[in-house]
Amino acid sequence: MNLPRLYHRLRLTVVQVRSLHGSSNVQQVETAAVAAESDPVSSQFSVFRTSENDPACHTDLHAGQYYTLPTAQLRTLFPHGLPYRFQMQIKTFNEACVMVRQPALELISYLKKADYSRPALRYILYGETGCGKTMSLCHALHFCATQGWMVLHIPDAHLWVKNCRELLPSSSRPGRLDQPLQASLWLKNFKTTNDRFLSKIKTTQRYVWTKRETTEEGRPLGELVDQGVARVKSSSDVVGALLRELRLQAGGAAEGAFRLAVAVDGVNALWGRTTLKKEDKSEVLPEELTLVHNLRKMLRNDWSGGAILTTLSHTGSLYKPRSAYLPMELLGEEGFDTMDPFVPVPVSSYTEKEFESCYLYYMDRHWLQHPHSQTEEGKKELIFLSNRNPSILERLCATL
Amino acid sequence: MIWRSVDLRRTALRTLLQLQLNMAASTFCPVLLPLSRINCKLNGIYTLILLNKTAAYSTGLSVKKTGAKTGLPQRGGKELRRQIKQVLQPRTERMAVDQDWTAVYPTAASFKADAVPLPVRMGYPVKKGVPPSKKGNLELLKIPNFLHLTPNAIKKQCEALKPFCTEWPAALDSDEKCEKHFPIQVQKKDYVFAGPSLRHPDARIVTLTVKLSSLNLDDHARKKMIKLSGERYNKDTDTLTITADSCPLKQQNHDYAMYMLTVLYHESWKIEAWEKEKTRADMEEYVWEDSPSQKNILETLLRIRPLSEQQEEGEVREELLGREEVQEYKDSVTKLKNEGETEGNMQQYKEAVKKLLSI
Repeated sequence: MNLPRLYHRLRLTVVQVRSLHGSSNVQQVETAAVAAESDPVSSQFSVFRTSENDPACHTDLHAGQYYTLPTAQLRTLFPHGLPYRFQMQIKTFNEACVMVRQPALELISYLKKADYSRPALRYILYGETGCGKTMSLCHALHFCATQGWMVLHIPDAHLWVKNCRELLPSSSRPGRLDQPLQASLWLKNFKTTNDRFLSKIKTTQRYVWTKRETTEEGRPLGELVDQGVARVKSSSDVVGALLRELRLQAGGAAEGAFRLAVAVDGVNALWGRTTLKKEDKSEVLPEELTLVHNLRKMLRNDWSGGAILTTLSHTGSLYKPRSAYLPMELLGEEGFDTMDPFVPVPVSSYTEKEFESCYLYYMDRHWLQHPHSQTEEGKKELIFLSNRNPSILERLCATL
Repeated sequence: MIWRSVDLRRTALRTLLQLQLNMAASTFCPVLLPLSRINCKLNGIYTLILLNKTAAYSTGLSVKKTGAKTGLPQRGGKELRRQIKQVLQPRTERMAVDQDWTAVYPTAASFKADAVPLPVRMGYPVKKGVPPSKKGNLELLKIPNFLHLTPNAIKKQCEALKPFCTEWPAALDSDEKCEKHFPIQVQKKDYVFAGPSLRHPDARIVTLTVKLSSLNLDDHARKKMIKLSGERYNKDTDTLTITADSCPLKQQNHDYAMYMLTVLYHESWKIEAWEKEKTRADMEEYVWEDSPSQKNILETLLRIRPLSEQQEEGEVREELLGREEVQEYKDSVTKLKNEGETEGNMQQYKEAVKKLLSI
């Protein structure tokens, strides 16, 4: 069954859709086609796209369809948040299209319904490798950003517990270790995302960095961040101070009140092991790292006025078996006890409908060049080879 | 000695017939027959030696000189050739369907392709082919076979052993009754051994199995017993297995195993002074009371609805813990921790959290 040709036939018969012989997902695609037809500004050429680019308005009707992230906002929204392969895809296709999927819709519905005077709720997205946890998180963050929230996004917590070339002993507390490079890089990206808030929020305490450098009470947070970016040595402490300020001031009743979304990808890194070593070759525990210590404090639900969205990630995790993907396996005892109570949101591989959508998108972008991949047989082969796992499918299609 | 050729052939035929009669017992005949046939044509001396040999092995049964012996050699030759051919065929072709198999394989013996009438194939298949057939198959020879242990053979052996056995007590007609009246099972092995001595060294090993549910243990005693037994306890079948092999005699090992069981039982009932220092990490299963999970949930609920002045913390705590959603949450967390994580458990946990935090 040649789906593009089928769609052309549908366009001629606008309202009357006859049920054709075919699988149920084709019929779903047809109903989506009818829905898309009725939308006046709808896409002229696709059933897998939706023109609804506002995540707040996404509903189950849009499930399985791609929406476009506006390129102008992309740099500010996600300076460091998107997966690397997706960034390459954006560059290649010249557009950032994200599929609307059920886990993200569920998460957004929780965010819409939650009461923000109560302590912050914790959500953990979990699932097998390559199923779309990070993408769902980014979708939810786009929603938060369009609603005017402040987004605190740690793109990969695993980066903070491994491959750190410079480990300085902390200036403020003995026994802790600073990571100046990681901290300053993260502060730079944080500034790009949340610039407009930084001038409005004021510090509540005086911070002393060195003998000559202090940040007085009542100064805008932007100054604090600049201090961290400029003076790399104290950047880890700046991060700690920033987190503390945001925790105290999120969701306040004042007019400058903002809602805070804390998004941590790969949260299981905070309670795992590190591969960093101290000078006497003993292993560094995660709680000895300033960044990790402060982030753990952020993830407790003792503040209100926001939400904590996290993802578990096995790729990048240290000393964990490859088959581990459930929350308790990856978080460990300590992590589970700290994150408890949380709302687990499972993310699974593509359904049939989502797979169809993805396939049509690649065809539309002329990404599948191999002649056999454009046939029904080729599609069945793709289903078999990738088992509908999004990342494996993407890698397969990249080679075709 | 000069032998006339006709006489030679006649005597050869005679001995061949003799050989035919002895076919079932001896196995060298098929090998010799072609030899003797060939040698007839050769020098007289060779046949003399051969004939002497065959004469020595034959049992000396009188031969009926029927058929071709007195007649022409050619007609006798055809009949003889047919009979020889029959002898040369594998035994399987002459087996009846209802034969007594225990006579073919009375004891453990290697696989004989000509004696087993099954089209067995064994081995790695040749390229674009099938596994090799049983004829001349070394793989079938290498492996142990149980052709001597067919149900019929075992029945016969049981019948032979019956005069030496006593009756099974009629009252013990089910497994549960056996378990109830004889909870301790002792396994001992006897060996028939031929070596420097007649005693087999493994005959001293005694294994004692008992189900802990049949012992009188309370909760503390049961947990302590399981901890003391360590590897010897099987959680799935709830059996404790004690193997004793340190003494040289079976009876000594049996006594030792019984002694071990007694000691374990009495020790697990005792409560030592240091046992009250048992920590959470020593606990065998997850208990929700006083766990971090309980603390978290209480803190969260208190943050949602902070204490007012009249309420006392203890009371509020009790009231919160008594709520149905908290109980559900407690059940789901206990299930997750004790039974391990599955998708179903996670779903249950998710529902419990959603209800509790009213999402």
